[in-house]
Amino acid sequence: MKRRSFLKGTLATGATAVAVNAGLLTPSTVLADWNSAAFTSKTTDEALSGIFGSSTATDSADIKLKAPAIAENGAVTPIAVDATAIDGVESIAILASKNPMPLVCEYTFAPAALGFVSTRIKMGQTMNVLAVVKAGDKLLKAEQEVKVTIGGCGG
Amino acid sequence: MSIKIRMRGKVKAGVAEVKALIKHPMESGIRMDKKTGKPYPAKFIETVEIAINGEKAVDAQWSGAVSANPYVAVKIKAESGDKISISLVDNTGAKGSAELKLK
Repeated sequence: MKRRSFLKGTLATGATAVAVNAGLLTPSTVLADWNSAAFTSKTTDEALSGIFGSSTATDSADIKLKAPAIAENGAVTPIAVDATAIDGVESIAILASKNPMPLVCEYTFAPAALGFVSTRIKMGQTMNVLAVVKAGDKLLKAEQEVKVTIGGCGG
Repeated sequence: MSIKIRMRGKVKAGVAEVKALIKHPMESGIRMDKKTGKPYPAKFIETVEIAINGEKAVDAQWSGAVSANPYVAVKIKAESGDKISISLVDNTGAKGSAELKLK
């Protein structure tokens, strides 16, 4: 099974491969529940529409977005989003506005979980980090600029 | 070859902060190999599920822009003795899971 997906991933010629490559760098084995449309979007607006069905979020001071003002190494930028001040948080998405594919990750919470997430993301250059929180039918956001001195995309 | 996960959690006033460190290259599929001029094939974790006592608590979807060897922390309402489990799948179908009993 692994070998098969490996072959699929490395074949760059042939008609089928061309069709696969039409989606640029979409992984060849997309899981049913992975939102490939949103994750391969090139703009934050498109990505937000892909996950939340809307790209209009209002600024909220209740979202605490913790990100470094200057990230020395963009490949590991620590980000924490604390939305515990908001009732009924359903999901949190983290986006890096100037990454080739801005949507970094999306978390959905069951009632047992609090609206909090802490993780590390890759950032290619200086840009805004965006945390979007869905609570009920509201979309809220918080934004912060992170200066990146070494890009995180390597190569 | 399953994905290695290290997980820790501590209960404080009815809330457990669960932290997981995952060993994974998180190759986005964009990074270029300078020698061949072709991108390295994508290999990144797509879905992560964290459950408490078998019930889903947090469901995450990741892209290749999550850092290599990902770290993730979430907060879950829990009591000591509760069982936290995490399971994940990457885009090549590789899986990983871990379990933890909260102290």
